[in-house]
Amino acid sequence: MEGRAVTFSPLVSLVAVLAAAPALPGIATRTRAFLTGRRGTPVLQLYADLGKLVRKNVVYSRTTTPVFRIGPIIVVATVLVAATLLPLDGHQALLSFSGDLVAFAGLLGLGRFALVLAGLDTGSSFEGMGASREVTISTFAEPVLFLCFTVLVLATGDLTLAGMLGERLSAIWSTAMPSLALTGVGFFMLALAETSRVPVDDPATHLELTMIHEVIVLDHSGPELAMILFGNAAKLALFAVLVVSVLVPRGLLPPWLAVLALLVGLVVVAIGIGVVEASMARLRLNRVPQFLVAAGALAVVGVILLLR
Amino acid sequence: MSGLHELLLLCVVLTNFWLLGTTRLSSAIRATALQGALLASLPIALHPGWSLHILGLAGGTFLVKAVILPTFLRWAIREAAVRREIEPLIGFSASLTLGAVAVALSFAIAAHIPLPESNSALLIPVALSTVIVGLLVLTTRNKALTQVVGYLVLENGIYVFGLSQAERVPFLVEVGVLLDIFVGIFIMGIVVFHINRAFDSLDSTRLTELKD
Amino acid sequence: MSILLWGACIILLGGASASLFRRRITAGDRLFAGLLAAGCLLGATPAVTVLRGAPTMSASLQGSLPGGPWSFALDPLSAWFVLVILLPGAAAGVYGATYLAAERAHRNVAAVHALFAVLIVALIGVVTAQAMMPFLVAWEVMALSAYLLVVFESERAEVRRAGLVYIVLTHLSTLALIGMFAAMSAHAGGNTFADFASGSRASGSGRTLVFALALFGFGIKAGAVPMHFWLPGAHAAAPSHVSALLSGVMLKMGIYGLLRVVGLLGPAPLWFGWVLFGLGLASGVLGVLWALAQHDLKRMLAYHSVENVGIILLGMGVGVLGVASGQPVVAVLGFTGAVLHTMNHALFKSLLFLGAGAVVQATGTRVIDQLGGLGRRMPLTATAFGVGSLAIVGLPPFNGFISEWLVFRGLLSSAGSHEGVRFAVLGAGGLALIGGLALACFSKLDGVLFLGQSRAPSRGEREVREPGAGMVGPMLGLAAACVVIGFLPVVVLAPAQLVVESVLETAVGGIAGSGEWTELATRLSTVAFGVLAVVTVLLLARGLLGRARNARTVDTWACAGPPLSSRMQYGASSYAAPLLASFGPLPGVLEVREATAFHTHLVDPVQDGAVLPVWWALGRLTGRLRGWQGGRIRWYLVLVIATLLGLLFYLMQWKGAP
Repeated sequence: MEGRAVTFSPLVSLVAVLAAAPALPGIATRTRAFLTGRRGTPVLQLYADLGKLVRKNVVYSRTTTPVFRIGPIIVVATVLVAATLLPLDGHQALLSFSGDLVAFAGLLGLGRFALVLAGLDTGSSFEGMGASREVTISTFAEPVLFLCFTVLVLATGDLTLAGMLGERLSAIWSTAMPSLALTGVGFFMLALAETSRVPVDDPATHLELTMIHEVIVLDHSGPELAMILFGNAAKLALFAVLVVSVLVPRGLLPPWLAVLALLVGLVVVAIGIGVVEASMARLRLNRVPQFLVAAGALAVVGVILLLR
Repeated sequence: MSGLHELLLLCVVLTNFWLLGTTRLSSAIRATALQGALLASLPIALHPGWSLHILGLAGGTFLVKAVILPTFLRWAIREAAVRREIEPLIGFSASLTLGAVAVALSFAIAAHIPLPESNSALLIPVALSTVIVGLLVLTTRNKALTQVVGYLVLENGIYVFGLSQAERVPFLVEVGVLLDIFVGIFIMGIVVFHINRAFDSLDSTRLTELKD
Repeated sequence: MSILLWGACIILLGGASASLFRRRITAGDRLFAGLLAAGCLLGATPAVTVLRGAPTMSASLQGSLPGGPWSFALDPLSAWFVLVILLPGAAAGVYGATYLAAERAHRNVAAVHALFAVLIVALIGVVTAQAMMPFLVAWEVMALSAYLLVVFESERAEVRRAGLVYIVLTHLSTLALIGMFAAMSAHAGGNTFADFASGSRASGSGRTLVFALALFGFGIKAGAVPMHFWLPGAHAAAPSHVSALLSGVMLKMGIYGLLRVVGLLGPAPLWFGWVLFGLGLASGVLGVLWALAQHDLKRMLAYHSVENVGIILLGMGVGVLGVASGQPVVAVLGFTGAVLHTMNHALFKSLLFLGAGAVVQATGTRVIDQLGGLGRRMPLTATAFGVGSLAIVGLPPFNGFISEWLVFRGLLSSAGSHEGVRFAVLGAGGLALIGGLALACFSKLDGVLFLGQSRAPSRGEREVREPGAGMVGPMLGLAAACVVIGFLPVVVLAPAQLVVESVLETAVGGIAGSGEWTELATRLSTVAFGVLAVVTVLLLARGLLGRARNARTVDTWACAGPPLSSRMQYGASSYAAPLLASFGPLPGVLEVREATAFHTHLVDPVQDGAVLPVWWALGRLTGRLRGWQGGRIRWYLVLVIATLLGLLFYLMQWKGAP
């Protein structure tokens, strides 16, 4: 009985979060539109898009190799496995071991690598440009991610994500508030960078020369494009989970309440992203590293606060 | 036979003086050959057991130092057609005096240098003095062939030094020393030949191009 | 132990067979490859036995050898490094037989094969030596045979120059090591490692000198910044299978030396750990940054070796910090990560160099920006190279991830230490930066080399072919090893832990066995297999979905304009440019702007910014001493005598008996 209950709630919460993920970009876009005086697309638009794309035919470029076809699959696979490492119900993760935060970052890196290679496979200058920008951003994003995790490690003394974001965190939440707040902001900025939202990239732009993430997937179509869009939404959800877990001590709540709180939190984060997108302009491309260095600086301050 | 090796060492010192004092090249070579023979008999005198190893070593040393190398040098003299040594840098009598000073100095130094126990108290001073005499000849003589002789004497001194530092003569050291000599002589022989052919002279005071 | 000796003999025989069979060259090459592989496999067997818990084997040569008896032993540390030597060595040797077959006509290939065999045997000698003299002799033989292999194409000026820089630095390293051994034997009774160990325990003085000299000497050999600048030239100049051995194995001799010194001398001081930590971080970040800037394929891979040595030193630094601050968990994690990364890097770096050799031989150029679209022509090479790239970036589910995971854990575990050492957690951010830069570099390399279209279509894609089985086989073998270790880390974690325990046992006084290793290994395997399972499921779903659909093939989308040509593809330098620009002058990329064109000129900041100016200043200074060279032999002899007498005088006065 205990064993079944142990894996039941993480599994349910995983399914819930993944099912809710495609709604998040919609909420963000709707918020942004609302704040800029427009009506915007429906919140559940992405679900419709995914359904449509899955049923469509697919077009491949002559230049591509099997790398192009397997890229989106790896993107989705890595996001799914990374999601199993997070304590989505506030207490346990489906898969947990000491140092699994490295696996979390590594899996996201694998997804990114596959995506970039799939883009370069087309031999197009647009995709090459997008890939170049994407790896520039991610090179600065990786250390920031680890610095934020370092804050959590220092605060909780636990090397598992389930502990760092779950019960152990809730136990010391009040004492480490300043550092955790900084970390939350850091995760939020990372979410913006990793899922290509303003101020790093504008998802609403249609000029290929200004895109980062959108242009890498320019040649994908049909089910592959569906997988990429879902993967992006799921990544946004994962980072939003990080933000919520740090700012809200869900470990004190029973599992079902924690999941509910998480979903509410995800919506709040998506609205927050919309607000940010409406109020800021997109940064110049060579300022994006500075944006991430600023996030890193916040995390370092958080680390120093805990080291003293 | 403990007195024998001291006698041998004394004769070595005398051959050094012979070398310093002679003006004729063939005489110098004879001095070297005699020195080689004396050194070949030293291990037998130092280690009274007649083992095959020591006999072989003595025989080999005799062959190389007293027979082969002097023959080679005599052949070189014939080829280069030289007889007499021209006036060296510091004169023959001065050389002899310096040689005597060198012997005295060696005895003084050997008493103060920290060295482990050796077979005989005479070995180290004689070694040092032979080395110094060899260096002296090398530095002050003008003919390239005489300088080769001086180098040989230098090697002899090192050989004596090696003898003093071992219970049994280590095979490796011996082979190393002999090989060293052989290679040195070989090269010097070739150099002498070419010098003579190129400059028609073996006067080393005319060799001043060895610089950058 | 004797089996190892037999293996070494067979390897040497293989090397000689290439020369003996000059008439029937193909037979000679096959014999070389076969004997080398057989010898390596034979030699690996006792190593594996020791790593599975067998007691240490030893042997020694008595007799009147210089420096006392020459003893050899195969303890867990030596056994691990024997495997590090033999596995890539076998692959590179078999590869080399086919690789150099085309050059037989105008070069002395048989000599290369012979020297290759000598190098492998010398490497084995270095890691199994247990006394000063055999270690130094093997070290020198290794350095010299490597030099001769590096200057294989000596008609090219840059090859000669690279060889010169290499030989100068390696002898500097040998000098430092001789000094280190002298310092160690000053306190010890004899010249064997066991004597050194007991001697250092007896007296604590002089340890600083030993550690400093070890750091310098072994650091040069390992290629840590700032002593790395011989690496790129030498590894790029050598034939590709030799570069594989140099990068993958010979650099590890420096790591082996540091591990051995730490094991012998006991608890290392705190400053040593911090220096290793700093060197590791600097080498890692700077190495990959400089790699990103390179245009030459092999130089790029060589700079990546600098980066990976940095990661290994980072792990060792954290380990030493753990030992010095009394944190056995941190120590074990750090050292295990370093030891495992040694093996992993040997495997994937050799793989990458072998792949690079195949590419260079097929296309005739080493310049990355002139290549492209090779994946269609050389699918097996591309796959193997792809596996190597994923491994070196440290992505799951390959072997690089496992060792980097261990180092990360070590860095983050130091959070529990006391003041000062706690700051080591910031190294996790640094290691992440290294990983990010590596991802950028290898996505660029893979994308530009194998994907897209050829950037120099004038060469003609029809000429590019997959290399023969003799070259593809070793590559796939190494790739398989990377995959196996990544998916089943339990295979290497237990032996690595044994190695670390044997090194640290003398330093920490025994660490309780961490039984959680097996469980952790299982979890890591779960992650890897999980990814594989999800990918398979998705592929099946995709297949089911697409069965009824028709896929159309069109040109790449060009925004509704004329089709993109191959010259319009993003180039490697452009790909890396934004990232490099963010780092300012650090990558050493100088732009030269002319009237109608501009090009970039790459410098190595350490070599061209620091070492060469000092070198030239030294040259000018010593030029002033030229006045002493009168050219007269007599004067030189007088100088020699004067020095000799001076030394005798010194001995008399200051050291003599009263």
